[in-house]
This record gives sequence, structure tokens and C-alpha cells, in this order.
Amino acid sequence: MAAIAKAPARPARAGRWVRTRDGWWAGLFLGPQVAFLLVFLVLPLGYAVYLSLVQWDGFGPKTFVGLGNFTAQLTDADFLRAVWNTTKLALITVPVGLALAVLIAAGLAGIKGSNFYRVLYFMPVVTSSVAVALIWQVILADDDNGVLNSTLRRFGLDGPDWLGDPGWVIVAIAIVTVWSSLGLNVVIFLAGLQTIPPQIVEAARIDGASSARIFRSITLPMLSPTIFFSTVVAVISSFQAFDQIYVLVNPAHNEGARTIVYQVYKLGFKDFQFGMSSAAALILLVLTLLVTLVQFAAQKRFVHYDS
Amino acid sequence: MKRAIALLALMATTAATAACSGSGGGAAPGAAGDGQVVLRWSTWGTADDIKLYEGFTRDFEKRHPNIKLKLESVSDYADYHPKLFTQLTSKTAPDVFFVGDDNIGKFVSSGVLTPLEGLLAGPDSKSRPEDFFEGIYGGAKKDGRIYGVPNDTNPEVLWFDKKALKEAGIGENPADLYAAGQWTMDKYLDMNAELKAAGKAGSIFWNWYGSTYSVINGFGGKVWDGGRFVATTDAGARKALQTLAKGYQDKTFLSADVLPESNSASTRFLKHDAGFYAGGRWVIDSLRKGGELDDYDIVPFPSPDGKPMPGAVAASYMAINKDARNPKEAFTFLTEFVSKEGQLLRLKGGGAVPSIKGAEQVVLDGYPQHAQTFLDVRDTGFANYPDEVAVPGLTAAINDELLKVWTGKVPFDQGMTELQKAVDGMTS
Repeated sequence: MAAIAKAPARPARAGRWVRTRDGWWAGLFLGPQVAFLLVFLVLPLGYAVYLSLVQWDGFGPKTFVGLGNFTAQLTDADFLRAVWNTTKLALITVPVGLALAVLIAAGLAGIKGSNFYRVLYFMPVVTSSVAVALIWQVILADDDNGVLNSTLRRFGLDGPDWLGDPGWVIVAIAIVTVWSSLGLNVVIFLAGLQTIPPQIVEAARIDGASSARIFRSITLPMLSPTIFFSTVVAVISSFQAFDQIYVLVNPAHNEGARTIVYQVYKLGFKDFQFGMSSAAALILLVLTLLVTLVQFAAQKRFVHYDS
Repeated sequence: MKRAIALLALMATTAATAACSGSGGGAAPGAAGDGQVVLRWSTWGTADDIKLYEGFTRDFEKRHPNIKLKLESVSDYADYHPKLFTQLTSKTAPDVFFVGDDNIGKFVSSGVLTPLEGLLAGPDSKSRPEDFFEGIYGGAKKDGRIYGVPNDTNPEVLWFDKKALKEAGIGENPADLYAAGQWTMDKYLDMNAELKAAGKAGSIFWNWYGSTYSVINGFGGKVWDGGRFVATTDAGARKALQTLAKGYQDKTFLSADVLPESNSASTRFLKHDAGFYAGGRWVIDSLRKGGELDDYDIVPFPSPDGKPMPGAVAASYMAINKDARNPKEAFTFLTEFVSKEGQLLRLKGGGAVPSIKGAEQVVLDGYPQHAQTFLDVRDTGFANYPDEVAVPGLTAAINDELLKVWTGKVPFDQGMTELQKAVDGMTS
């Protein structure tokens, strides 16, 4: 009996050993990532929360002000304008960018030599954002060298001062953002399209469905998880827009181009108000979280995971 | 287990390699081989600007073989101070660096700069405190202590286009009027009106304190009084700002900041489209590139009664990091850089005016005809107000609020209220 009772003990010890050994390996591989997250994400975030509660110019002593920085920012006309500019940018770039990407991906899915076009559309994604901004500066300039306005003038149209007019600058930024992110979205949607079983499309075609009907009733619903993913990513990246705008337009000279991240940068590194800057950054974080939560709540109605 | 040990060894090796590659072969910071000291210094400027320092650097390193200069430049002025600030807070700032006149007050009050008055007055100094004009120390001097030395200056003057004035039917020469004590604000505004009537712009200004405060002075107004910003309430200053706002809106004045690049301030001036262009000695560079030099001359900003008055002087300062690794060598570099010899070497052919007494021949090289005006404005002029530069971002905020008024986005009275509110909000 005893021998029988002891018999399973050996494999059990071996299993624990295997589990322990696996645990060590897992720890070894996960350790650097966890350390990285702690050092470069959790700690700075915690420090930003602390800074948002104090008044600090970067050198002198810190004065505790409670939620004063938050209320100051939420009632500050410049910050509210930045929130509005950022929202406008997201409202233009996300639907336009994704709709264009879906259409282009659907078009590319069925044609020969689509790889060439994939490369073509993807090129702006791998181009430095500074280079992209500098090229578009020439295209959008409101002078004799401005490619877009010169072209419009040939057709008798008078284009706006894209980069100088605060009312138009967000549109100009949106054009550049859509252009530079289009390739990535096209590639993601092409991958999404490949997950649609061809037999479903084929069956619909045999039933006499037109291409438009197939696109509306099969492609779009089955692509909805990919669209949802891309929407979340696109919204987050429009809320974080900064580098391209900073080079394309000098937001210091054009209030229409001041986004939330620019405001965070200006408050911290130009005005030396690190408490205010941290509060603005945290408001951006909360805003992004809220919008993402709304998107996740809304996806239950629009996203179809069944094949 | 062997694999785990091998992996750990690999990680350790990688870490060690990375550490070595980052420290320049393990040498102590600030030290090069053979006991040579590496002195880091930073400034802003385009590649062309930076070239001006090459001659000085070669000369300095030849005379001081124990010091190797390492310049860390930032091309855009707007990006320079945020970088320097970050370096100072993380204790990685260069030993010596330039500071702009709109940021010097902040760095002084933060205590990150080495006080220089003792060193400048000491035996190793080649640039004594009294060699620099008092007015241009601006925010670099506090409570009798000197934290930055003006490395060079750019007095704001009015460049005028003789051809444009003639085309507008103006027979008088502003420089002659100034010499005769008749260069008044009224006379200047009359000329602007005549230029406007002739289909030209009267004056082109950059939207900065140099131009705006010079015009306020020309109306006998005050900008700061007793530590308080009074430009929106002082009668003279308010009248000046109102005149500017009206002029910008009826196109008598143009704001260079909002002109398109293809028809920029320099281009308009070279095309004889404007009578006056407010700027420093740097305007010579634009004129040399595309203008008939003899068509242009300079005059100080006008005063209420024609008598000379202090004008604005753009300045930048050279300062030593309080945590400099090689403070002795840092001072040797600083004092030679700002010395008479240093400025003669650096500013030859450049677009700035020496900040030190005795190097005037750089400016008096025959152009423009009244080049002495640069020196007169420098000698009696003022750098931005210490009250203003002590608050980071304040000058930029004032300019932003004023630009809204100049471009007509905000009515004048509302603009003044918002300007005062913005200043009070930042200074309280």
C-alpha cells in the first residue's frame, strides 16, 4: 500500500520542479520587461501625479497646491483651446483616415501586383516625421512655392493659408496625418481582409449579391474587429500628436495648432511650470482613457467577432 | 542550467559593452587623453552662425593645448533653452553656455550659474566687469552680482530705404533729422503715412520687445514701473500700442512674424515695398545678399522731442555652469571669448555688435553710412527689463497677446485687458 501510495510522489515532485524551473525562466525573461515598465512607466507616472499636486519651477522648492493645478488648467482658455484643437484633429483624421484605408485595402485585396502598392502606401510610415513635415511645409506653403495653392490657382481657386490661418491649420495637419498614417492602416486592413473566409464571399456572389452589398454586409462587419482596433489606436495617436505638428507649424505662432501635448511641453519646458504641465499631462491621460472606454463600450454594438 | 549561466554571462557582457561605449572609453568625464581637458559649451545658431566660431576655436586651442573645446549647438533658438534647462536639472549641462536675454533671469534666480564678478575682476580676467555697458547686463546682474557676460549685442535700430522714401515723395533723410535733433515720433509717423499713401508699407516690425518697447519709449510711455507691468495703463504706452494696432490693421505697419516666407520682411524691404525695417546689424546680411547697399541707412527709434533716448538692445549672455567639471578652464574660455580680442575675431564679418568697449572697429567698417548709431544705441540702450525676464515665458506670452491685437483677432481694449491679465497671472 505504501509503495502504491508513494508511486505518484515522484512525478509530482518532478512536476513541481518543472514548474519551479519554468517559473525561474519566466522570471528571467519577464524581469527586464517588468523592470523597464517600473523604471520608465510606473515610476514616472507616479512622479507626474506627485508633481501635478505641487507648484515647481524645476529648480526651487516644491509647494503643495492640492488640485489647484488641475482647476487652473481646466479653466485656462489656452488649455481648453488645445483640448478643442486636439478633438478637432481626432474628429477629422480618425474617420477620414480609416475610411480611406478600408477602401484602399479592399481595392488592393483583389488586384494583381498589390505588393507594389502596399510598399507605395507604406513608404510615408517609415519616413521620419520631421522629413514628412518639411516636405509638406513646401506643399502647403501659401506663397509662390506652395505646390497645393499654386495648383489650385491654375484652376482659378484661391487656396487658404493652410499653415498660417488658425482656422485652417488643423485641416492641414489632418491632411498630413492621414497621409503619413494611411499605409499602416492599409496594411492592417489588408491583414484583416485575409481573415474573411472566401467561401462566404463566394456564397454571397452565387446568391447574386453585388460587390457593394458584399462590402457592406460581409466585408465591413467581418472587418469590424480590425476597424475597432485601428480606431482605438488612431484616436490615441491623434490625442498624442506633437512632433510632426511642431515641425510643420510653429505652434508658438499659430494658436490653431496648439494641441494638448504642445501645451504640456510649453508649460513644462518653456514656462518652467512643471506642476501645471504634469496636471495637463494627467488630464490628457484621463481624457484618452475615457474616450477609449467609450469606444470599448460602443464596440459591443458595432463589432462582430463571429465568423 | 548551463544555458542560464551562458545567458547571464551574455547579458553581463552586453551591459559592460554598453557601459564602455557610452563613456568614451572609460575616461573621466571632462577629461581627454594626455591630461587634456574637454570643455563642453553650447549655443544656438544655424550652421552658418556656428562657422563664425571656428576661427576663435582654432586660435584658442592653439594657445591652450590643455583644453579641447567641444561645441554642442542647437539650430533653433526656441529649442535651445528647453534643452539647456533639461541638462541643468539632470546635471548634464555643458561647462559654459549661452543664455538668451529672455531666460537669463530664470537661470539667475534658480542658482545654477556661477557668480562671475570676482573672477572677472581677478588677475586672470581678460574682460573686466566695467568693460561692458551697464544697460546691457539686463537680467544677468542681480544684487550687484554678475551671472552672465554679454557675449555680443544687437541694438534695435530703424533701417530706412532711401529709394522707397524718395518714391513716396519724402525728401528728408531720417539720419539727418536725427543729427539735427528733429527725429521725433510725429515726424516718423508722418513719413509712415506718406509711405502708406504711396502704396507702400510704412514700417516692418518683428513682434518682440525690441520694437514694441522702442515705440512705447518714442511716445514717452512706460512699460514697467516699480516692478509692475504698466504698458496697458500708462497713457504714453497705451497711446503707442493703440497707434501700432491701428497701423497694423490699416497696413501702415507690417508684422514680419506673419508675412509669408516668399514675401518675407527682408524681401519686402529689398523690393523697396517698405520705408522702414526695424532690426539689428544682422539686416546687413540680407542686404548684402540681394540689395543695393547704398539705398539703405540706419537711424535710432524716434523720441517724443527729437532728443536721443535709450533704445532696446538684444543681448545674449555667456555663463558658467555652477556644476562645471572644469571651472578654471571654463572661465579661461569665457573671458577670452567675450574679451576684446575674442569679439574682434568672432564678429569680423558677422551680424552682431561687440558688447565690450574697445572693439568698435568691427562695426565701423564703412557700412552703413551711420554705423555709429549701432554703437550709440548700444552704449545708452537697455536689455529687456529684469522684472520681465525673471519670469520664464512672460515675454513670449506678452508677444502672443499683442500679436492677437496686431492681427485684429482681439479688439484693442479687450486685448489690453487680456494682456494685463496674462502678465498678472504669471507674475503674481
